[in-house]
Amino acid sequence: MYRKTAKALRDGFIKGEYTASQIAAYFLERIQILDQDLNSFLNVTADRMMKKAEELDIKRGEGKPVGKLAGVPIALKDNLHMKGEVTTCASRFLSNYQAPFDATVTKLIEAEDGLIIGKTNLDEFAMGSSTENSAFQVTRNPWNLSCSPGGSSGGSAAAVCGRLCPISLGSDTGGSIRQPASFTGTVGFKPTYGRVSRFGLVAFGSSLDQIGPFANSVEDIAMIMEVMGRHCEYDSTSLDVTSENYLDHLSTSLQGKKIGVPWKFLEDFDGPSAEHFAKGLQAFKDLGAEIVEVNLNKIKYSIPIYYILSTAEASTNLARFDGVRYGKRSEKAESIDAIYDLSRKEGFGDEVKQRILLGTYVLSSGYQDAYYKKAQKVRTLIIREFSEAFKACDIVAIPTTPTPAFEIDSIPDPLQMYLQDLYTICANLAGLPAISLPVGLDSDKLPHSIQLLGPQLADSRVLHFAHQLEKALALSSFVPPLFDKEIKL
Amino acid sequence: MAQFDKEALKTLTKLCRIECDEEALEKLLKNLKSILNYMDLLKEVDTEDVPTCNHVLEAVQNIMREDKTEETLERETFLANSPSHVGGMIRVPPVIKF
Amino acid sequence: MSHVSYEEWEPVIGLEIHIQLKTRSKLFARSPNHFGDEPNTNIDVIDTGQPGALPVLNQEAVNKAVLFGCAIDAEVASFSKFDRKSYFYPDSPRNFQITQFDKPIIIGGKVIADVEGKSKEFFIHHAHLEDDAGMLKHFTEFAGVDYNRAGVPLLEIVSEPCMFSPKDASAYAMAVKAIAQYLDVSDCNMEEGSLRIDTNISVRPRGDQTLRNKVEVKNMNSFTNMEMAIEAEIRRQVRAYTAHPHEDPAKVIASETVRFDLEKKETVSMRSKEEAKDYRYFPEPDLPPIVLSQEFIETIRKEMPELPHERFDRYVNKLGLSEYNASILVNEKGLSDYFEEGLKTCKNASSLCNWITVEFVGRLKDSGTPLFKSGILVKHIAALVNFIDQKKITGRIAKEVADIMVQVQGKDPELIIQENPNFQAVHDTSAIEPFVDQVLSENVQSVADFKAGKDKAFNFLVGQVMKLSKGKASPDVVKELLTKKIL
Repeated sequence: MYRKTAKALRDGFIKGEYTASQIAAYFLERIQILDQDLNSFLNVTADRMMKKAEELDIKRGEGKPVGKLAGVPIALKDNLHMKGEVTTCASRFLSNYQAPFDATVTKLIEAEDGLIIGKTNLDEFAMGSSTENSAFQVTRNPWNLSCSPGGSSGGSAAAVCGRLCPISLGSDTGGSIRQPASFTGTVGFKPTYGRVSRFGLVAFGSSLDQIGPFANSVEDIAMIMEVMGRHCEYDSTSLDVTSENYLDHLSTSLQGKKIGVPWKFLEDFDGPSAEHFAKGLQAFKDLGAEIVEVNLNKIKYSIPIYYILSTAEASTNLARFDGVRYGKRSEKAESIDAIYDLSRKEGFGDEVKQRILLGTYVLSSGYQDAYYKKAQKVRTLIIREFSEAFKACDIVAIPTTPTPAFEIDSIPDPLQMYLQDLYTICANLAGLPAISLPVGLDSDKLPHSIQLLGPQLADSRVLHFAHQLEKALALSSFVPPLFDKEIKL
Repeated sequence: MAQFDKEALKTLTKLCRIECDEEALEKLLKNLKSILNYMDLLKEVDTEDVPTCNHVLEAVQNIMREDKTEETLERETFLANSPSHVGGMIRVPPVIKF
Repeated sequence: MSHVSYEEWEPVIGLEIHIQLKTRSKLFARSPNHFGDEPNTNIDVIDTGQPGALPVLNQEAVNKAVLFGCAIDAEVASFSKFDRKSYFYPDSPRNFQITQFDKPIIIGGKVIADVEGKSKEFFIHHAHLEDDAGMLKHFTEFAGVDYNRAGVPLLEIVSEPCMFSPKDASAYAMAVKAIAQYLDVSDCNMEEGSLRIDTNISVRPRGDQTLRNKVEVKNMNSFTNMEMAIEAEIRRQVRAYTAHPHEDPAKVIASETVRFDLEKKETVSMRSKEEAKDYRYFPEPDLPPIVLSQEFIETIRKEMPELPHERFDRYVNKLGLSEYNASILVNEKGLSDYFEEGLKTCKNASSLCNWITVEFVGRLKDSGTPLFKSGILVKHIAALVNFIDQKKITGRIAKEVADIMVQVQGKDPELIIQENPNFQAVHDTSAIEPFVDQVLSENVQSVADFKAGKDKAFNFLVGQVMKLSKGKASPDVVKELLTKKIL
């Protein structure tokens, strides 16, 4: 059953091949045994899931209509709220924080009978590219347990990769869905900014954050996007559009379509990753698409812009974690000032502190013009550059990551770690829909991927192109060997 | 950024209310200096007459809601997460009025 | 308390007035905007700064801000936006406030106010929307935080530094309050905190054009205290400048916040800590900008009700009230509305005004309750005035009736008069005639004076008859009888 896509599971449930309770029990068992090696889950919501599964079985038994995600187990990154469950953001600060409300995506999933299976590990407050910054546990890559699954949504990526559930949700601020998708050979999609409601997502970089899905097929991505991609009246940055029927638009031919590649920007990109990138482009050509050159030279400024803007926004978004109303309050504190200074000292990990300090600095008096405002201006230039590029092509193709998954503990220097995000950040800066699609395995049996970006609002187009490419690449047996087996307790 | 020194870092920690011991300060200073250095890359971009991007979706404007009240957060739920509360209020040590 | 000499020194004053807007829900949250409830019962995830919560702007708050802008002849910005203002304090749910830093919704504007008989124009720099903080309640061993107030919509009205005396400041503040009340955008109740005033005061040698360092006095809780605080701060600054005539003024008086000590009637420096007030303002990423069309602004402008100065003009020009009386009524909307209600059944505007503002307000002065919130119905006051005009009772009797109306609030004066025979005017000629005869015989000189053409003498005689009848005689009958008997 673990090889089945979400779509196949739902179809099977509807036809009566298996019950929702059977599906739930199956995957819960799989997690119990296999997640010991991965550490992808922080919290498995087994009781709640079984209860929902039972209710769903009764519903189907009574002949009532069932939702678009009926019977599908879905994991949520632990910075998304499920009312009554703990949301830790992988931080000591929130280790006991019970979410007082459901995220909009949680409500939408449960309204369509999706079965939420648990909360997955992440880099603390979504800050990181390896999931090593989690205060609780290190998640491993199912393709190679000494490697990182990427971050910050490493837990969600590993869970889907290891077939512990068919779909999971992550959040992407600078690549936190796409980079782990690339490292784990899963499909990871970041929608257009505003496409999915951020209400109930613990904010990191407010103008950059988007919630998005991981899956093992583009069809599954489309399936859940139909449910999640809606206007939300609790999020002022939510697009005022009705949901689109992504599944209906996957099949047309790509004949004559144009794929833009910024060759100049990619001058220094080489090695096995470059070979796989070329393979992906070739597949497009075989489908009748044309590869054209586009100018995206300003993407090279992505990293400084991102680490100015996202940390600035984060420094204010995380100011609320002060030990006053919720979360960890230092026991040593005897004054209000000490509550602030010590709770935040004890509750936050090093990377989080570093980014808050950096963000405070770039906003501070005397420096705001040189850093924050400058970054916002260069951001405008990147947006303009993409607009120009999309006049000459339908989709832009670039790599997702410069290298495949690296070993855990192999990148101690923060700046080196930040450079991981070189190809992913631009989509967040410009608010573009972007997907990472696996292309193949290298000689070390590590996955490589290609990234497709569309203009703002062209989510459907991106999924369409990705689906066509996926079919053309026809990757067989793309399941990590260690997890490619049925298990029994 | 030449002026980013220990003193500047200490001021920052006060601004964002995170206490750091000497060891932490040393490590942070090193990392932040290297990161800020890298930020200087932006200096080479000509941004004369370029507007700042405050919202990536320009078309989204005037998002407002009707003046209606809704089910609120129950006090019990709110206080359940609090480290300390008294008489329905969040409890903190005495604060100097300003 | 020595009186400060303004001759050599000119005080320059600016006011920042915060008014809470009367919306049903808060500025960015859908929780109730209501004062006085149990702590933390009007909250939601946004007001308490829960992670994952997001702000959504209340249309009605924008409408009220625009209406206010129209009423003060300001420019309503076609483009305005919100910014984050960072500072740590327990009453702040997120440790940043959402405010408008550089693109406020209302720009410029002016109010006209009466200052000790003279009409003056005061200019407003801008007005902007922002969310209120929660309330910190101080106890000896701890402090408690109540977030009911967190997120309530505030309109902060910032004046130009265009006031030059405490009276200017009061007059300006009262004018702003009156406008806000007339528009029904705010209750402007200083006791409940829906109107709060911070003042900025600097002093310079008279004739100087540059401004010296200004000092802020926060949270005045009444207009009187505000005047005293301003007076005290002016005094403090003048004393300091006078004591250090050769020092750099910027060093003599530093820009800071001071506290007003009500007992000592002094302002005290609060320089207890080095507060790095770097608010690090930057545009609020969770809120798109507000773009308002001229059509929209005009639809709001059309809804504008009668404004205080319009009502003032109507009272003076159409109803014939004195400027003094008109301003007493106009400056307190509740009282003015009470008066308007009374006019529905009484046409004698100046008499009604007098009875309301002098007789009844005077009688209720020590009760603590304003007349228009008391149990005394204005239609009863109107009836009383009518009775006087209809000569059913005399003015003197009416005062006694008023006393009873205050003691037994809500009692109909008609009933009061019926129940008390002493209050009923005596029309019976035979009862009055003896008094008339007595007065005429005792005041021969006055009779002669009147016959000689002195009209005042007649009034004197009338008064004497009234006295004898203990005020009960109908003045008309008295006059009739006197006239008949004299001529």
